Amino acid sequence: MSFDVVASSRIEQRQITPWRYIAQTGVQIGLLGIFLGVVGILGMFNKRPIIVGELTLGYATLGLVFLVAGILVGSRRLFASIPQTLLAGLVAGTIAATVFALLPIAMSLISLRSIFVSLDPTLYEMLTFGYRAPVGIGQIICLGAVLGLLGAALTELPRSVRRPISGGLVAAALAGLFQELLRPILANSKVSKPLHDLLYTWGGLTLRGAITIFAVTAIAITVYDLSRDRFNAKFQSLPSPNRRRIRWGFLAAAIFLCLLFPLYAGHFIGQVLLTVGLFTLMGMGLNLEVGIAGLLDLGFVAFYAVGAYVTGLLMADSPFALAHMSFWEAMPIAVLCSVVMGVIFGIPVLKVRGDYLAVATMGLGEIVRVIVLSDAAAPLLGGAKGILQIPRPVIGDFHLNNPVLLFYLTLVASLVAAYAAWRLEESRLGRAWKAIRDDEDVAQALGINLIQVKLLAYGLGAAFAGLAGSIFAVMLGSIYPHSFQLIISINILALIIVGGLGSLPGVALGAIVLIGLPEMLREFGEFRYLFYGLAIVAVMRLKPEGLWPSASKKRELRIDAETLAVQQGAATADAKTT
Amino acid sequence: MTAIEKAGVKARIPQIFGSLHKFTYVEAVLWLVRISVVAVVILGTIGTLIKGTYSSSQWFAFFTFGLTIGGVYALIALGYTMVYGILRLINFAHGDITMTGAFSAFFLARSFDRSGFLDAYPVTSMVAIMLLSMAVCTVTALVVERICYRPFRHVASLAPLICAIGASFVIQHTFRGMFGNTVRSYPDPEWMKGTIELAGFSIAIVQLIVFGMAITAMLVLYLIVQKTKMGTAMRAVSEDRDAAALMGIDSNKVIIFTFVLGACMAGIGGVLYCFVYKQIYFFSGFLPGIKAFSAAVLGGIGNIPGAMLGGVFLGIVESMGPPLFLDGIGIPAPYQLRDLIAFTMLVLVLVFRPQGLLGEALAKKRA
Amino acid sequence: MIKEFLKGTTAVVAAVLLSAAALAAETKGPVTDDLGVVEIPKDAPIVIGGYWVITGPDANLGIDSQRGAEIAFDEIKNTIAGHPIQFVVEDDSCNAEGGQTAATKLASLPNIVAVLGPACSSAATAAAPILWKQGLTDIGTATTAPSLTAPDRKPDYFGYMRTIYSDLDQGFNDAEYFYKELQCKTLATIHDGSPYASQLAKAAADHFKELGGEVVAEEAVTPTDVDMRPVLTGIATKKPCVLYFPIFVAAAAQIIRQAPEVADLKDTKIIGGSSLAAPGLLEAAGDSAKGFVFTNVDISPEVMGQKYPEFVNAYKEKYGEGPTNSFHAHAYDAAKILAMAIEQVAKTDDSGTTYIGKKALHDALFATKGYDGISGPINCNEHGQCGAFNFAVYQFTDGDPATFELGKNPKKIYPKQ
Repeated sequence: MSFDVVASSRIEQRQITPWRYIAQTGVQIGLLGIFLGVVGILGMFNKRPIIVGELTLGYATLGLVFLVAGILVGSRRLFASIPQTLLAGLVAGTIAATVFALLPIAMSLISLRSIFVSLDPTLYEMLTFGYRAPVGIGQIICLGAVLGLLGAALTELPRSVRRPISGGLVAAALAGLFQELLRPILANSKVSKPLHDLLYTWGGLTLRGAITIFAVTAIAITVYDLSRDRFNAKFQSLPSPNRRRIRWGFLAAAIFLCLLFPLYAGHFIGQVLLTVGLFTLMGMGLNLEVGIAGLLDLGFVAFYAVGAYVTGLLMADSPFALAHMSFWEAMPIAVLCSVVMGVIFGIPVLKVRGDYLAVATMGLGEIVRVIVLSDAAAPLLGGAKGILQIPRPVIGDFHLNNPVLLFYLTLVASLVAAYAAWRLEESRLGRAWKAIRDDEDVAQALGINLIQVKLLAYGLGAAFAGLAGSIFAVMLGSIYPHSFQLIISINILALIIVGGLGSLPGVALGAIVLIGLPEMLREFGEFRYLFYGLAIVAVMRLKPEGLWPSASKKRELRIDAETLAVQQGAATADAKTT
Repeated sequence: MTAIEKAGVKARIPQIFGSLHKFTYVEAVLWLVRISVVAVVILGTIGTLIKGTYSSSQWFAFFTFGLTIGGVYALIALGYTMVYGILRLINFAHGDITMTGAFSAFFLARSFDRSGFLDAYPVTSMVAIMLLSMAVCTVTALVVERICYRPFRHVASLAPLICAIGASFVIQHTFRGMFGNTVRSYPDPEWMKGTIELAGFSIAIVQLIVFGMAITAMLVLYLIVQKTKMGTAMRAVSEDRDAAALMGIDSNKVIIFTFVLGACMAGIGGVLYCFVYKQIYFFSGFLPGIKAFSAAVLGGIGNIPGAMLGGVFLGIVESMGPPLFLDGIGIPAPYQLRDLIAFTMLVLVLVFRPQGLLGEALAKKRA
Repeated sequence: MIKEFLKGTTAVVAAVLLSAAALAAETKGPVTDDLGVVEIPKDAPIVIGGYWVITGPDANLGIDSQRGAEIAFDEIKNTIAGHPIQFVVEDDSCNAEGGQTAATKLASLPNIVAVLGPACSSAATAAAPILWKQGLTDIGTATTAPSLTAPDRKPDYFGYMRTIYSDLDQGFNDAEYFYKELQCKTLATIHDGSPYASQLAKAAADHFKELGGEVVAEEAVTPTDVDMRPVLTGIATKKPCVLYFPIFVAAAAQIIRQAPEVADLKDTKIIGGSSLAAPGLLEAAGDSAKGFVFTNVDISPEVMGQKYPEFVNAYKEKYGEGPTNSFHAHAYDAAKILAMAIEQVAKTDDSGTTYIGKKALHDALFATKGYDGISGPINCNEHGQCGAFNFAVYQFTDGDPATFELGKNPKKIYPKQ
């Protein structure tokens, strides 16, 4: 499976005039704003302050939307002269805001709340800035115009000015958004307490804090940009062994700091990282199946469940337990059971391909879940009541009983797994997997044993999930069938796609973006899956190779640059024909 | 390599799957699966019949429940089948597209019900509700087509499937955001209540209405596909898109038409589903979607009569399966395992007979 | 310098490793406490945590409870011991991993003194030990799993208490009612695969058997099932006198709708559980809910005084709608006893700094006796079981969600005055 095989082609080009593009962008951005309002994102974001008493996330999002209108038309380089570009940004922002203003206008005329639950009075108040409708709506349109202009201006600024400004804004926004996480870290240590008091109050980031962060970041970026060339020149002039030593030194220091970070950051960050680690582990397993062997598996959660349940049954202090092993005895057995499960899973679907395979594996995964939950299997597996009282792992007398320690366990497991995955990918087996991914029939004609290779992909992929499930069981201390829904399989698939199919660092990055970020912003949990869906569609459309493509993929892309250009030309041309 | 050349290469590799027979352990496992499924079915049936828990009128009731839900599955399955026939891809978001129509039409149905219009003018109001549902489904389907399928139309890969999974999430959670996450209750007009006695068996009127409307919709669709010019073009594109284009058929138009037809069937199916089961919420589309997909595969994907047959068959097996097969072998709480039956059937068909009951080996054209 | 850095690191590592060990007694200001002392400077808020399911399909359950607690804090003007209350609510998604994450996050907040919630037993099972490790007492508000306050519970759970009854309580009462009041000798149950429903259905069935009745069917459905006719037809062949299904709204509404269509169920009494005391049921079941009967705690003014109607008025005023689910009263009571206990143990010195001992707070909460809550009398035992089940049976009188009002629609039909 790959994303760059052109099956048939039809190339057309159609130009549109600049002003039409501006109008189109404005309308689309305005509709995006309405969408955010109607599904309730604006209303919910408005409850979260970025700067206490000054700016909420809701307004920031709305502002960003209008800003994007300006940035889009500005970065298109439609006009040669700066005033014209600024005008374009202004017009796009105004159009976007006018379209968006239809929402508060409609809300002021008729009550939509009996149908659209999010369009409540609080949202109306937010959209009209607490004024009566005409004044408030006028304000929105002005805001849109100004921000559109600013957005276009931003694209016209020289890089040396743009980078500090945008960097500073982003830093201040993050400091406000993640105040719940940053505050305890800063407040809990005597050293950083003054810093905490400078930036934050009990409610969140202060205006003073925001300006401080903006200024510090902007200056830091400027200094970095200015001195970078000099540094580079100096660095290049060093003898090469020294250079390598310095590079490794920096790398080692960075890794060391990253490793220590959870210890400083506390249990909650540890818990988030632990979850990210578990999903990274599973992602690496699914990556073997989907990214390398091209077997799209939507029933992957079944192996996770097997790992967790086997561990639970072998360790728990409960009537369902089969044994009272330690984690170190139970874990290998759980992994082995997952491998067996993977092979059993793989046998029936050996001949099924492509989309069919996705649906068949989804069916198998659901079958496992239904059986685990059922009363029929309850005497063995506990049914809906789950398996309780699973002890934590113990090394000697030392209990791994907090999220940070379990995170280190997961980290070690992930590193071992990553090494294994990397070796597998480069091995003969890995090449065989890539061959069947690219063309199963040709691969078989070349003498690759399809059955063996495919079953190995399922079995080895399942091993990773089994390991993750095993850690999951001891992390929770109790397991319930409700933890093993189809949604987990889709999460894992989404994260490897967003990260970049076939790429190991991509898996980790995907897990951080799709698992870590929503975990840290739990109160927006309602919109977690909307975000997933949008992320999947956006990545597929804009960057099908993922955020961090694998090296081989990059190589292929370079070679296929021409083909790809043709293909994208076809796609965009096609998109423009209606 | 173009698609045609590729197909040529494939044709030159004789009987690639023949070599599978060397591996007896795989065959053995597959036979074990076959035998155990058949054993469960036969033993369960014998066990149930010996126990004699259910009377014949109850069996008839199970049958009609199955027929009703089967008719709805069939309507939704048509959307899968037609899109597959033309584009060779699974419209993963189709179940959710079905939900969008039914959910939007709920508000119209509710206002009709509150004003008494639904009871006073049953036909007019049903037509209005269906039309709204079809319109919303059509819009959603075209947006999904535009964003998720068209850019990948010339590219053979899993990208559209993955993109459609994303679209499915976006649709569900957009509707959750718009209409809330409470379960809404479809109105229950007087004329839909009650049962009819027929040769000693009783059938609920609502079931008769739903099944009748499903059959009508399917007949209309069949006529469109078989008798109209557009239908002929659809069949031509489904046979060979490049050749159809050479014959002067605008495949883009045909594809859009196909999505519209599928969405209209989904719109009707969704409303009927809601009139039988009375409930709608943002996740209502997913499971019927998967079941309908199973039905389409069961009947032979790409095959319109097959989808109808598959839908009805799946509905009946789902409804009669738990009491007939599972009760007999003494499984506790058999109805909890109803989805298990649907999924098992899906997997079995994909594994053992990918061409379905009526289809030819279309599955191999893909890949 | 590197040496110093390593030293510092070792110290941090040691601190983290030691935090795993038991907390030692701590003295701050005038207070000494075995589990640690929370020091709240003048004008700083007292942080109270809460975790419920506030997203996803069961969100109403959690949001309703959260509102109950918020109203309780409103009544004391959001201040305890001269400090404002900062009520931080996390989502637990009604599952164990969500509970674990939420609890970890709450436990890391500075100045947190205690935690309210959750609504789901699976979340509590994972979360309570984490909170207790930080010395935090957790008051469950809708978690009914018997194991959470069982006499043989593990020391990990010693910080957990709840203002709600146990499934064993409700199951016991339900069975008594079916057998003695309704004079039924046969019972069928349906659960939906959730830990709550399966436990409660089993508890009722077990006690029914003890009483001498016969349980003719123990069925299960899935929460997303829409076609209940087959399972109802199957149950109908066993001719049970009572069909009891303590399941959640969506599937329950289908059963309520479709039961009349199964002719053989005419003589069977269809009875639901406490989770159906919500306007959502009317939303989902429509007019067919009229006449539907379910068991619940008795919250009528005759038993509880006028406090509950007052609470409902405050709720409507604050949120623009009536209570949306059935466990808000327990959350309200939990917040109330927590506020009283904090008030009791908090010591403020001359500078305005308040000190709260965690062990003292825990002991004060567990010593709560004779508190007259709106969900019933609150009497804690040493295992943290504080709520009791005042059995009552309610019946819906109208299918319109707008008419939902506990006491009128549904109205109490048992025990009769």
